[in-house]
Amino acid sequence: MGFPANIGELTKTIIAGVIGFAVGAVIIMLYGYDPISAYQALFNGAFGDLYSFSESLANATPLVLTALTFAIGFRGGMFNIGAEGQLYLGALATVAVSFFHLPSAMGFALSLICAVFAGAIWSLPVAILKATRGVHEVISTIMLNWISQFLCFYLIAKILVDPQRAEKTISVAQGVRMPLLVPGTSLSYGIFLSFFAAIIVYLLLWRTVIGFDIRATGHNPLAATYAGIEKWKIILFVFITGGLTAGLAGAVHVMGRPPVYAIYSGMPSIRGLGFEGLAVAMIGRNHPIGIIFAAIFFGGLLAGGRMMQLSAHVPLEMVRVVEGIVVLFLAIPELVQLLSFLRKIRPPLIFRSKRSQDEDRRRL
Amino acid sequence: MKQKSDQVEGKDDIILAGKGLCKGFPGVWEHLILDHIDIDVKAGEIHALLGENGAGKTVIANCLSGFYTLSEGQIYVKGKPVTLKSPRDGIRHGIGMVHQELALVKPFTVAQNIALGLPTSDLSFPLPEVENRVRQLSENYRLYIDPLARVEDLSAGEQQRAEIIKVLYHDPEILILDEPTSLISTDAEHLFEALNSMATMGYGILFITHKIEEALEIGDRVTILRLGKSMGTRETAKTDKTELVKLMFGEHTPVQLERKPVKSNNIVLDVKNLEALAADEEPALQGVSFSIREGEILGFAGISGNGQSELAEVITGMRRATKGQVIIHGKDYTNHAPREIIRAGVAHIPEKRRAMGVIEPMTAAENVVLKDIRVPPFSKGSFLNKSQITRHTKEIVSRFGALVSDLWKSQTRILSGGNIQRLILGRETWRMPRCLVAVYPTQGLDAKAIDHTWELFMRLREEGSSILLVSEDLDEIMALSDRIAVMSKGRIVGIFEGGEAKREQIGLMIATGASKA
Repeated sequence: MGFPANIGELTKTIIAGVIGFAVGAVIIMLYGYDPISAYQALFNGAFGDLYSFSESLANATPLVLTALTFAIGFRGGMFNIGAEGQLYLGALATVAVSFFHLPSAMGFALSLICAVFAGAIWSLPVAILKATRGVHEVISTIMLNWISQFLCFYLIAKILVDPQRAEKTISVAQGVRMPLLVPGTSLSYGIFLSFFAAIIVYLLLWRTVIGFDIRATGHNPLAATYAGIEKWKIILFVFITGGLTAGLAGAVHVMGRPPVYAIYSGMPSIRGLGFEGLAVAMIGRNHPIGIIFAAIFFGGLLAGGRMMQLSAHVPLEMVRVVEGIVVLFLAIPELVQLLSFLRKIRPPLIFRSKRSQDEDRRRL
Repeated sequence: MKQKSDQVEGKDDIILAGKGLCKGFPGVWEHLILDHIDIDVKAGEIHALLGENGAGKTVIANCLSGFYTLSEGQIYVKGKPVTLKSPRDGIRHGIGMVHQELALVKPFTVAQNIALGLPTSDLSFPLPEVENRVRQLSENYRLYIDPLARVEDLSAGEQQRAEIIKVLYHDPEILILDEPTSLISTDAEHLFEALNSMATMGYGILFITHKIEEALEIGDRVTILRLGKSMGTRETAKTDKTELVKLMFGEHTPVQLERKPVKSNNIVLDVKNLEALAADEEPALQGVSFSIREGEILGFAGISGNGQSELAEVITGMRRATKGQVIIHGKDYTNHAPREIIRAGVAHIPEKRRAMGVIEPMTAAENVVLKDIRVPPFSKGSFLNKSQITRHTKEIVSRFGALVSDLWKSQTRILSGGNIQRLILGRETWRMPRCLVAVYPTQGLDAKAIDHTWELFMRLREEGSSILLVSEDLDEIMALSDRIAVMSKGRIVGIFEGGEAKREQIGLMIATGASKA
């Protein structure tokens, strides 16, 4: 079932978006600003001219990839929120390659390879713990996200630090940077890498045997086992693939985002990209092609929000509120599904009532 | 409480009638679900509606109570034409329906459940009022139940009483019960008493069942449905079982199955001293041993819930054995993964067809190749071969007469149980498996499809497949099996040779659980 064939879903998304913008308009008005000029500024800032559209696409570039991480997991019935931590390590791995002064082609390739490997390695404990011990991925990914964050703080401050400027890492070598697609903007050729990854994931899920097995497991694990699908293989595959795209997101961002091509301490430029990817995945209904459009939209919101603040004089906080409302409304159709999904997750033993424990036992 | 006595005087008044009722769902079934049905219910009578699974009984009930809208036809309440657009309309016209599947919120009390469904909800929640009313109703109709009891603590029979009281709360004059005995096979007498006394009070009751004996016992009149058509209405006093069987199933004589004796002595499936736990961690299998030879059908008779489903699951790798051995073709497969057992040539028609047999959100084509997708020609390398899958699915669908509107678009969820069963049968048998574990293989199929399935099983047997057949239908077991095992409480209490088995003897053994003397 391809995405365009699913007109019903598309209509749902559009309706949700319209409602979201309407509610946002009411709030803007309540606080005494003009919603029409605010939205005009938002649109102009997002898609108004080549420059703003390029900025929107630049924002979308890593989001497509972190959204894919979540979407692959979700299709397999797993709730992978580990993109955040995997992305940090991917970004740092890219920087680390520039530590060694390699020829540019080799450095470029090695940067990407190290980044995806770093992401994948960071997802391995999650997969292994889940496959062997049944540790729920929400718990393990959250823990690993924190570990990753502090590990990266350490690496930025101590190992990869720029000798001249202590607040940042060394910059990625010239030859390793992705060329800009539109000069004078932040948009690099990395966007094609993102789109390419989305198409690969689409083909993987709907055209291959492993994709079939992933979707079967996601829809009905019992029937999947009955059909001879081995769940541990699916778990490993889903998390490793997710780690690959998350790591790639880190690389694409560091290699393709001017002006710094480095990471500052506290990682302000990449923090949150993993979780924003989750929102993008929800808006794109966890479909790779939907995710492309959702990421561009989300990137546009971020780019346009700045314009809304500058030209319509809506305060930044209000901009964030409106953005949040729109995203929330857009995610509602998928959130409903997500909630029913989360209900199936068994809470840790100590939080469970006697009754639900009995139910659990019966279910097994 | 409204007085019902005024209606008792006009005892033969028709209070609910349907004329020319039609209902069709496109693409799901070969005939109209309801094909110009006339039916009426008189005040003070119990009208039984009898038919096989899939005959359209529940659809009639849903149409008469406003859950479904009609495609054609007219409903009359007390002679006046009415249009029912929703269950609320049904309630307004005094029609209450008790569904086959109970719709109660388990952690709530009986009274809370009833309060949930009240038409007006203001801030003053009338719980004490509801409780009193429930006590009163349960006294009046001898449907004893404690309004303060939590639903999850109640037995199936009590839950059903709660459901009936929920409907009675709205003061209906007509009560429709959809297969009320399916959940409470042991406790039916109480329900029948209550229904009879309600009929004397002047209610009109439409009682839906697929059991002929029940229709004869409880009904004043009985209407027989077959494949969406009414086969006529009879007074139960003036009819008998033979006539009803004929109306229900048509002039259908079961296929004559020819069989040659089992040729081979090769043991395909050997089960030794198997033990396993049920979902509630109670022992489900307690030392089960048997073996099946090449080209042999071993039938497992017994009331469901005596370990048959667990046995099938342990053999196919879906449930852990706590003790004992499963040996397939001389190799130990105890507690191996389903994947390996499938590779060993064991096919499995599971009991839970919707939960285990198919993946409902996926398409028919995907479900037909659920197990075969990993091998050529359905995939080449890692990639799916859609055209081969389509070709194969078309073949299975047409060979097994499944009605599937679109192989690649619509979810399997929308198919009827019988059509899903056809897809599963096709998927599990087209390769001529060496060993087939079939649990209730003909559930939800019509008589013709059952014949085909039986013939298919005999053909598999001729080809040398070993079949473990679990069925509640003794006719099916008797017709197909070379040997018949009777299970009771997780043990095999007797194994008969097909020829020597006497129906009565097996029936008695099933009923008492006593072993062969």
